[in-house]
Amino acid sequence: MNRAIIVDNLVKNFEITEKGPGLTGAIKSLISPKKKEVHALRGVSFTIQPGELVGFIGPNGAGKTTTLKTLSGLLYPTSGFVEVLEFDPWERKPEFLKQISLVMGQKNQLWWDLPAMETFELNRAIYEIPTRSYQENLKELVELLDLEKLLETPVRKLSLGQRMRMELTAALLHKPKVLFLDEPTIGLDLIAQQKMRDFIYNYNSKYGATILLTSHNMDDLVDLARRVIVINEGQILFDGALEELVTKYAKEKIIKATLSKEDGIADIEKIGKVKKLAFPQVILSVPRAACAVAASELLQNFPVDDLTIEEIPIEDVIRKAFKGGLKR
Amino acid sequence: MTKKIKKYFKIWWMMSRNSFSAIIDQKLALSVFLIGKVLRFIFFFGFLYFLLLGTKTLAGYSSNQVIFFFLTFNIIDVISQFLFREVYRFRPMIINGDFDLVLAKPLNPLFRVLMGAADVIDLVTIPPLVAATIYFGSLLHPSFISVFYYLVLLLNGLLIAAAFHVIVLSFAIVTLEVDHTIMIYRDLTSLGRLPIDIYQQPLRAFLTYLLPVGIMITLPAKAMMGTMSAMGIILAFIVGILAVFVALRFWNYALTKYSSASS
Amino acid sequence: MKKYWGIFRISFQQEFAYRLNFVLWRVRNVFQILLTYFLWSTVFAGPGTQIFGYDRAKILTYVFAIMIVRALVFSARAMDVSRDIAQGDLSNYLLKPLSYLKYWFTRDVSSKVLNLIFAGAEFIILFLILRPPFFFQGDTVALLAFTASIILAIMIYFFILFLISSIPFWAPEIGWGSHFLVTVVIIEAFSGALFPINILPQGLQSFIMATPFPYLIYFPVQVYLGNIQGSALMGGLMVALAWTGVLWFSLKFIWQKGLKVYQAIGR
Repeated sequence: MNRAIIVDNLVKNFEITEKGPGLTGAIKSLISPKKKEVHALRGVSFTIQPGELVGFIGPNGAGKTTTLKTLSGLLYPTSGFVEVLEFDPWERKPEFLKQISLVMGQKNQLWWDLPAMETFELNRAIYEIPTRSYQENLKELVELLDLEKLLETPVRKLSLGQRMRMELTAALLHKPKVLFLDEPTIGLDLIAQQKMRDFIYNYNSKYGATILLTSHNMDDLVDLARRVIVINEGQILFDGALEELVTKYAKEKIIKATLSKEDGIADIEKIGKVKKLAFPQVILSVPRAACAVAASELLQNFPVDDLTIEEIPIEDVIRKAFKGGLKR
Repeated sequence: MTKKIKKYFKIWWMMSRNSFSAIIDQKLALSVFLIGKVLRFIFFFGFLYFLLLGTKTLAGYSSNQVIFFFLTFNIIDVISQFLFREVYRFRPMIINGDFDLVLAKPLNPLFRVLMGAADVIDLVTIPPLVAATIYFGSLLHPSFISVFYYLVLLLNGLLIAAAFHVIVLSFAIVTLEVDHTIMIYRDLTSLGRLPIDIYQQPLRAFLTYLLPVGIMITLPAKAMMGTMSAMGIILAFIVGILAVFVALRFWNYALTKYSSASS
Repeated sequence: MKKYWGIFRISFQQEFAYRLNFVLWRVRNVFQILLTYFLWSTVFAGPGTQIFGYDRAKILTYVFAIMIVRALVFSARAMDVSRDIAQGDLSNYLLKPLSYLKYWFTRDVSSKVLNLIFAGAEFIILFLILRPPFFFQGDTVALLAFTASIILAIMIYFFILFLISSIPFWAPEIGWGSHFLVTVVIIEAFSGALFPINILPQGLQSFIMATPFPYLIYFPVQVYLGNIQGSALMGGLMVALAWTGVLWFSLKFIWQKGLKVYQAIGR
């Protein structure tokens, strides 16, 4: 099999009922409800090779999660072709489901009042994992994720980070070939986020699992994905290497500085484009290549208390890409 | 085929055991609910008792018979609640998105949300109920064949109850608006606490053919009293199987309409 | 006063917002009435049947009257207070310049108005279909006494709901359980919603009439039907009034204690 995931012209529409405001609105909706059609996916196409680690980025409501859910068989496509591991996900055949896994940040499959071990055992029965593999996988995952001492603690007593690691373990016990991760770092602190990313990266390189992850956090993508698919308003804007996306659309970086003195502040526009100037804060946007030079110039010539260099927020990158039309 | 049955039974056993462990240290809550259930039974039973003291018969049935109808209702009601307790937790599961994770597993999602948590309280209420039913049943002096018909129709009643629960689940997927569909089912079946003969037409026909509460509850009791023919049993089963069929179709339809909580 | 009108409106809207949900809620009410109606209709099927001091006309009138009285007394949102306390949402309300009690009472009234409208419609429809013999009370004294008993019933029910909802201050895990036990099971049995209390033997009757529950449904309906008059009527109203007082003072006491516990835990 040379293609793990094939998506061709996938369309997904949802129907929602609108309710008008106020008392009259409520009574009106009783008599004649207004229905609206939401076009979540408007003809999405891409293919993914086995073992690839692909990142899906887009702002909220772009269609990332809808795509993921269609690929795992949760949602029924309105039209289009979808194939994962040579199965039709919608049929949800057990042979298919045993080879995939879906992890959604902050949603749990672990039984709340019981130790995680109980859920693991249950999953073993559900996925029909042979005893040997189960024990090996469990041991590996527990070591990798540093969970040995927590296996007998009721899940509700674990911290968010610990729970996420348990969820991951539960999701990987059956060694899925395809792993769908929806917002895996959401709600985690910076250290936990980094740990999560490291784990995903290692898992992909060690086991060759195909990993598809969605995020609206640029750091996730910078660290993990070699290939990136940008989606917005149900359409793919970009599909290619991350470097291409960055150089193509995020041509600038942001320098944020805190100044201790106000004099000479007008000259700051010589260093870069001033996006915001409100003493003691100043925000500049500088071309990527010139970033280091600009930063050192700033430090040399101005009374800088504090300085950070940031990426342009992903929403801005996407907005930019969209304004430029659908270019590849 | 047997391998699958074994797998599902094993999983049902594990899930039931899990839900027992999870709830067993909420002793106070368990006791309160248990007392509530027991009192509810006693109050209605007491009401029937005093009523029959005054009227002697109801719709042509003797006191013992009327009580037997009530007990049969309770048997089906309690066993359904024991098996299908998880249905009451389905709507929150859809709202917070956990249902997605259920769908993504190689385990029939309907099985999981229908029978995922047997209710431990009913392990206490079922035995005395069964004992009472046997006692009052014996007062009716049924023939062997009547008892056989009774048990068979009881099973049929449970099948219809299962079908009802599946329809409730399907509704919860299709419309998030209604938060008490299961209670509607309970109100409907509680019309079966008394023999449906007391209801006028067309309500009685409605309860027999359209929403087969009558077939679920009244018929088994009638069989015990020897007033059912083999033909009637067969018809009852046809309704039962039809109900399950319709319910499953509706469930599959509901899944295509599943829109999932937004991220 | 304006803010309470605002609460009334928004509460009304919210119940109505989920149209299907509300309609089905009314359908459930109708089902509950049907059982009671047909049960008694069958009991009194034979002409001239007279049991427990009722005949067909009287008993069916009782059942139909219950429809309206239930909408007036039992329509309430105050059960949700239990959840507010258990989940810590009470804090939001304590911060606002609003009497928590008055807030919920306004919501209850809003619910009653909404449900009364629908109960009225259902009454008319079922009346036309089933054509029960119904007795329309004409005597002013009876009607006045009826109004008084309804007001007392509403207050008793409100206080009971609030009292039970206070249990989560100390034991949040039995919030819903306590309501199930008292509000659903016990009240259903003793309020007269299923059967008129006087079909029970005398000893049991006296016991139940000493509790607040029959004053929710049974007593108001009997007053309307003119079955309770004179000294018995005054006596009944006194008992209802006494219960209103007892429940009110208990509520004040328990609520203060409960708030202390709530704020100490800092939910």
